[in-house]
Amino acid sequence: MKTKAQTTEEKPSLVPPVVAGLLSLILPGLGHMLARQFRKGLVLLLVFLSAVGLWIWRINDAARREVGFAAMFKKAIQLKPILLIILILIILLYIVIALDAYKTAGKGKPNSFLLWLLVLAAFFILGWQIGEIRPAVLIRDGKNSLPLLMRVLWPWEKAVHYPEELLIGSADVVIPCTENAEVPERVVEEGDPYVTVTPDCGDLSEISGAEGTKLRMVGSNFAPNDETEIWWVDQVRNEFRYRYGGEYVKVVTDENGSFELDVVIPYRVIPSTGGKGYAVWQVEARQVASVGEPVLSEELKLSVEKMIETIFLGMMSTFFGVILSIPISFIASRNLMSANWFTKTIYMIVRTILNIVRSIESLVWAVIAIIAVGLGPFAGILALTVHSIAALGKLYSESIESIDHGPVEAIQATGANWLQTVWYAVIPQIIPPFVSFTIYRWDINVRMSTVIGMVGGGGIGYLLIQWIRLLDYRSAGIAIWFIAITVAILDYVSSEIRERFI
Amino acid sequence: MLEVRNLTKVYDDGTVALRNVSFNVPDGEFLVVIGLSGSGKSTLLRCINRLIDPTEGQILWDGVDITKLEGQDLRNLRRKIGMVFQQFNLVKRSTVLTNVMAGRLGYSPTWRSITNQFDEADKKRAQTALQRMGITDQANKRADELSGGQQQRVGIARALMQEPKMILADEPVASLDPVLAHSILQHLENLNQEDGITIICSLHYLDLVQRYSTSVIGLREGQVVYQGNKKQILRMTDKEFKTIYGEEAERMGGISGEIGEEEDAIGEEAAK
Repeated sequence: MKTKAQTTEEKPSLVPPVVAGLLSLILPGLGHMLARQFRKGLVLLLVFLSAVGLWIWRINDAARREVGFAAMFKKAIQLKPILLIILILIILLYIVIALDAYKTAGKGKPNSFLLWLLVLAAFFILGWQIGEIRPAVLIRDGKNSLPLLMRVLWPWEKAVHYPEELLIGSADVVIPCTENAEVPERVVEEGDPYVTVTPDCGDLSEISGAEGTKLRMVGSNFAPNDETEIWWVDQVRNEFRYRYGGEYVKVVTDENGSFELDVVIPYRVIPSTGGKGYAVWQVEARQVASVGEPVLSEELKLSVEKMIETIFLGMMSTFFGVILSIPISFIASRNLMSANWFTKTIYMIVRTILNIVRSIESLVWAVIAIIAVGLGPFAGILALTVHSIAALGKLYSESIESIDHGPVEAIQATGANWLQTVWYAVIPQIIPPFVSFTIYRWDINVRMSTVIGMVGGGGIGYLLIQWIRLLDYRSAGIAIWFIAITVAILDYVSSEIRERFI
Repeated sequence: MLEVRNLTKVYDDGTVALRNVSFNVPDGEFLVVIGLSGSGKSTLLRCINRLIDPTEGQILWDGVDITKLEGQDLRNLRRKIGMVFQQFNLVKRSTVLTNVMAGRLGYSPTWRSITNQFDEADKKRAQTALQRMGITDQANKRADELSGGQQQRVGIARALMQEPKMILADEPVASLDPVLAHSILQHLENLNQEDGITIICSLHYLDLVQRYSTSVIGLREGQVVYQGNKKQILRMTDKEFKTIYGEEAERMGGISGEIGEEEDAIGEEAAK
């Protein structure tokens, strides 16, 4: 490197400084190339061309409906003024490149700091524009996501469920008052809530506003000190909640679970009375009371089940990955495979396959596996196994390549055969990296299996994506909490194990 | 008797490490090989136990040409030749005892050795070797917990397990301080004198060479440029020194005329 730099200093530029500068105005970077700074010139040319190209693309993108560049440019600048700033930067860059070429062709090394700063600025602002970065929106509208975020962060209200029971006491009301009306017999068992009304018949309210008959409603055996709703049930079993003055009527029971309340028979377009001339309605008092101990919610149980499935999914795929990648790693190690051209070819082929398989994300493998074996954890295991083999194969073989050859030599020198040498000199050296890579992979596999689940590869990810789609963010929050807790525990355990082995 | 005849080693990349090297080592000798780094000392030692295959030439040991051995014969040869290394080359994560027992691998059946089963006689041998090297109480420690001097003793104990007729020592004290260097070389000298094991050892420091060797060969660029016995080494001239180490080399201490005094000094140091 040093000698190279010296020779460039010694050799003068092919063109005089002014020509270099002018040439760079025709084609940015050309001046540098002819001033024996070929690489720098090439880099500047590529940088300049890509900046201009990206800018034109953004102009097109911003004003796609306009025809003709001038119109497009005008519209785009109007819509996105930032494009004008980029244009100014590009023009500045163009001038500075020419100046730099002028100085490069002349004596002494030019200070190109400003040049590279401009390049950096142009690409930064381009990136800002292309990435549609809008911090103002984040600040203005970001708070809308807070309630949702809170539900995800603290979802535990949904972790327990209070079993509820509807306590209903009802009484019959005959409308209008009719003698010898047939009212079904009512049997109230001891301890059950019941309601009585006096009188037990009357007239409906009228649409004109005239109030119907006022009834005295007395209820007992309800849950004490609890809200009670009043409902009407007409003769064709239509249920509707009782309103008075536009408001739903509620009553709170006393400490004995009893209440007293005046109710007015409401207005109702009466369905046919079936020729009997009267109708039997019921007036009901309803209480929603929680009974018994709180129990864990279905969502929590499902999350735990699926989390366990996820951990085992990760474990099994790691297990299969390790078993299969160990033999592969030996034939993918350069130091063990450099004996002749045949083994070298195997090494090259295996390494290439590993690289290709590894570059396909496990998510893609999951989609392929689902086609092969259907939805469920087995597809996830297959996908993660394939990816693990490729990743571990590479990591293992690299650790085999980096073993200390000294002990191998020493064990060979004692007259040990190949197997003994591997057993005594190679294996002890590769155990620590193997253990640490394996645990690392398990870690990755458990985390990945949550993602794999989202495409249907089993595990908690499946639940998570479903709950997100149902906008059930509390349940999704529970799943996320379980994932976070599991990953944290796994992190701790894996670092402990790694410490013990190394 | 080890006879090296016209030994040449050319590496795959074209480097000539050894050029027509010939010398004899009678049994019971303490031969020291000297020379600059890269002069071919390590290659020469590794050719003798065939960790490196020589390109041309012969190595006769008790009349058998070592360079032609293959498979089990080669392993049988290797188990008779112990080797000690500059970097000790212990399996760092294994215990001292396991490292020492590894010296017995050439004698053990494969399936037994990979299940860590060694017979009683071997265990007794290991105890003796550890005792001899003064590291009995370190037996169950991991090798990398030991200091450099102790690790090298484990290395020698491993070589002893082979019940060797010859020990190759490739710069065994180059990573150790002067006091430890003497102590390790004394162990080797002890094996040489008491057990009659032939020692071939490469060394850097001339004072150590003069103190321990019974004969010396000097290598320069893969060629033997000096051969001498105990008396001749003690009287090594500046000219001989420069043929081995090059014109620019300057001799530090150990000038021929003052050898006597220096030997006394070494003796005193060792006594401490």
